[in-house]
Amino acid sequence: MRIVCPFCGERELGEFTYLGDAKPQRPAADAGEDAVYDYVYLRDNIAGVMSEHWYHGGGCRAWLKVTRNTLTHEISAVEPAAGAGAAKVGA
Amino acid sequence: MADFSWDIRGPLDRALVAGAYGAQGDAGVSLTEIRNFDLVQVMARRGKAGETAKAAKARFGIAAPETPRAVAAADATLIWSGPDQFLVLSKDGRHSIESLAIVFAGSASLSDQSHARALISVSGDKARAMLAKLSSIDLHPDVFGVGAAAATSMDHTSVTLWRGNDRSGQAVFNLLVFATFAESLWHTILDSAAEYGVTIGHSEEL
Repeated sequence: MRIVCPFCGERELGEFTYLGDAKPQRPAADAGEDAVYDYVYLRDNIAGVMSEHWYHGGGCRAWLKVTRNTLTHEISAVEPAAGAGAAKVGA
Repeated sequence: MADFSWDIRGPLDRALVAGAYGAQGDAGVSLTEIRNFDLVQVMARRGKAGETAKAAKARFGIAAPETPRAVAAADATLIWSGPDQFLVLSKDGRHSIESLAIVFAGSASLSDQSHARALISVSGDKARAMLAKLSSIDLHPDVFGVGAAAATSMDHTSVTLWRGNDRSGQAVFNLLVFATFAESLWHTILDSAAEYGVTIGHSEEL
């Protein structure tokens, strides 16, 4: 599997580290225990297209959001995660 | 309590043995450790990439790289190291962290890497063949020309790789590696280069 880093170009899997599901959103402070439990512990085990965080630690050290099919490893989109670089996103 | 005496020692002092190594005859690979350089990491602060770029242009007379490239200024090389960040490689204190701190005050965070990295220059007929064993980067001259740079990994070790100006008609690849990983990578490079014959040396010329 290769990932096309938006900053570096196409790179081998060994340069990246998987950092899990990119979907969970931190609940509001008053959302209650169940919502926090869900956010911290519960994950869907998706067979198909999934949004994931990957870290390009062996390269530019940017966090990426990768849309990947867990059945075929087909990657349909890669974008910088919020906060990657000073200008690209979340500035 | 025991007295300690601290010797200042380069990261490759023990591993580097100047002279010939590996196959005999004309050396296919030339390895040179570059010593006594100044290296400063410049990282734009959030929302300050434009200001950082402007400050760099004013200081160095050229634009800092925004893509994986290494660009040569009059007395420094600016090497891309990630989004909105680059390394300043120079010598003789011309662009020390103290002098750059004034230039990038308020726009970028700086970190002195002068003693945190080893710099290895690789050239020779077989340089590309040797590096191809360690790197998954396409080093073909059509793809990785003079000035191309990459933040990548070799032998599971993060490196900054860039192609400098050709010397005597031959490609020159420069490698910055974390000081504490330098000896390990050096041995891996020697293993990879041995079949081509190696000339080993060190220099203070960037």
